[in-house]
Amino acid sequence: MELAFYLSGGVAVLATLGVITGTNPIHALMYLIVSLIAVAMVFFTLGAPFAAALEIIVYAGAIMVLFVFVVMILNLGEGAVAQERLWLQPRTWLGPSLLAAVLLVVLVASLVQGGAGQFISGEPISAQAVGGLLFGPWLLVVELAAMLLLAALVTASHIGRRPEVERWSESKGRRPGAGRGKGNGGGR
Amino acid sequence: MLTRLHLFALSPFILVCATAVTVMLGIAWRRQHTVTALVSALGLNLALVALWLVWRTGEVPTLLLVFDNVAVFATLLILVSALACVTLSHAYLDGYPGPREEFYLLLLCAAAGAMVLVASRHLATVFFGLELLSMPLYGMLAYTYRDAHSLEAGIKYLILSAAASAFLLFGMALLYSQTGRLDFPGVAAGFAAGAWALAGAGLMLVGLGFKLSLVPFHLWTPDVYQGGPGPAIAFLATASKLAVFVVLMRLVMEIPAFRADWLPGLLAALAIVTMLAGNLLALLQSNLKRLLGYSSIAHFGYLLVALVVADGLALETAGVYLITYLVATLGAFGVVTLLSSPYSGDDASALHHYRGLFWHRPYLAAVLTITLLSLAGIPFTAGFIGKFYILMLGVEAERWWLVAAIIVGSVIGLYYYLRVMVTLYLVEPGMMRRDAPSDWGMHAGGLVVLGLALLVLLLGVYPAPMIDWMAGMTLFAG
Repeated sequence: MELAFYLSGGVAVLATLGVITGTNPIHALMYLIVSLIAVAMVFFTLGAPFAAALEIIVYAGAIMVLFVFVVMILNLGEGAVAQERLWLQPRTWLGPSLLAAVLLVVLVASLVQGGAGQFISGEPISAQAVGGLLFGPWLLVVELAAMLLLAALVTASHIGRRPEVERWSESKGRRPGAGRGKGNGGGR
Repeated sequence: MLTRLHLFALSPFILVCATAVTVMLGIAWRRQHTVTALVSALGLNLALVALWLVWRTGEVPTLLLVFDNVAVFATLLILVSALACVTLSHAYLDGYPGPREEFYLLLLCAAAGAMVLVASRHLATVFFGLELLSMPLYGMLAYTYRDAHSLEAGIKYLILSAAASAFLLFGMALLYSQTGRLDFPGVAAGFAAGAWALAGAGLMLVGLGFKLSLVPFHLWTPDVYQGGPGPAIAFLATASKLAVFVVLMRLVMEIPAFRADWLPGLLAALAIVTMLAGNLLALLQSNLKRLLGYSSIAHFGYLLVALVVADGLALETAGVYLITYLVATLGAFGVVTLLSSPYSGDDASALHHYRGLFWHRPYLAAVLTITLLSLAGIPFTAGFIGKFYILMLGVEAERWWLVAAIIVGSVIGLYYYLRVMVTLYLVEPGMMRRDAPSDWGMHAGGLVVLGLALLVLLLGVYPAPMIDWMAGMTLFAG
């Protein structure tokens, strides 16, 4: 298990190096996904399967795929096809694939060796333990996170407001708030 | 586990959060600028009353937060500056064409974050409090986002702040790897001198130093101060910096990792560089907001002296200095905000906008003069008491380099503060692009600014109650 830990950790470091040296956003994001999966593997070997699963579902799954989609959608245009062909050169996919292959070897080897449920030392941390902690003594932190998300949401909705909405309120004079605020839900 | 006593001690924080949620529901139902401002002010006042009750109960330690003297004192200052910012924003946002109510929501969230930060005794609450303080500030700085400067300020603060958070988290991870604990007493007990723990403490210093704009990490300050809307900058310069400083003070005084080996030397070097560079760079400014930004850098350099010494009168000194800095800074930014109210484009901040201000707004010019005198540390203003304390602390600890830097810094500071004051009283008419409404003194914002100026004078002439209060200041032990 120690070997699996060090291999995954090494992969994480190398992949992150790939992220910060990459000049093309898509290539950097590929490395980032590998790096996140490697970190999840590290969590598994340390006996925190819940954190590992969350890492994969939330970061590698949801957030990263969203990033990749957004970057790809922004790049649509005349040269998109040529660019796709350019991306298929071995130089670009070889690095992330190699690192991912190392992770696969680590996974298969540890499955063959002793099956699931192995880790380096200590007690495994289950989902129940995490939940008990979050909604017991750490309840305040959960509430803080809720306020943080509220603030982030309001900021994003304010900055991302469509300009038409404001023109509407300007045409109503200096005090648009006096009437029924039809311009309220302009957030995107 | 949370008990009823803990909930009671948390009540100021809960009230501020509840006010934020009320404001949000109000926005969803019907937009009313004045009502929103009134509800925010009411919520903050209720929190002040709750805070008074908590203060009478005494220290309440919980797992994540501790409500000791210092926390109550800092929370009081945060609530007062949030109240001042609410009144100032009501005057300021009156002319803003877009939606105005969200600003109060963000302000309340930021105040809640600052309140958590000053009471934290756990690295998790330090991080969450800091993020809850910073996240609404991005929105407040970029609030008038159709003005390119404001958007620039918000984005600059967002990106650099994220980098600083990364430093902070990495430092926390290193400390955790050495001690296995996240609460301050646990980290303090498990500390063993070693390169990793020192590196962790150093990285945390970098992260917090960014928020305080200590000198190697100050590059964001002038642009953000110049670009952000007046009330947002007033909050950033007062409540936000105060909260970060208090948490840094707690870390330095409670965790030996921050006082081990070469870290006091590093802090002293940071203090000297910050004092000198802040004051020297302020000399070159022709924009009042930028100038105040550099001056706030220099003031936190002076405050670092209390952290370098970190025993004896350090806590009392920091308390007195924070009060005097906060009152004067709020007053100065209040005048800038009032002169730029109601909002119509860029704030009036270039020095030539202020030329001859005395001849048609004598009281506003007087308020600005008093607050600048206080920031410069002239006798009979609050700033003198603060500066006196800092000097006394440096001399008692026999830190002669620090004392020399304070004196040189103050002399340079005097020059550029006086330059602004001379501008106010020049006879030739300035290029006033903006002016306060003629009945500014009758509005809440004007009354707040006048009250702050009176407070600056009162604290300078009769500081005894403040000093007595600060002398009883103690951190919760254990």
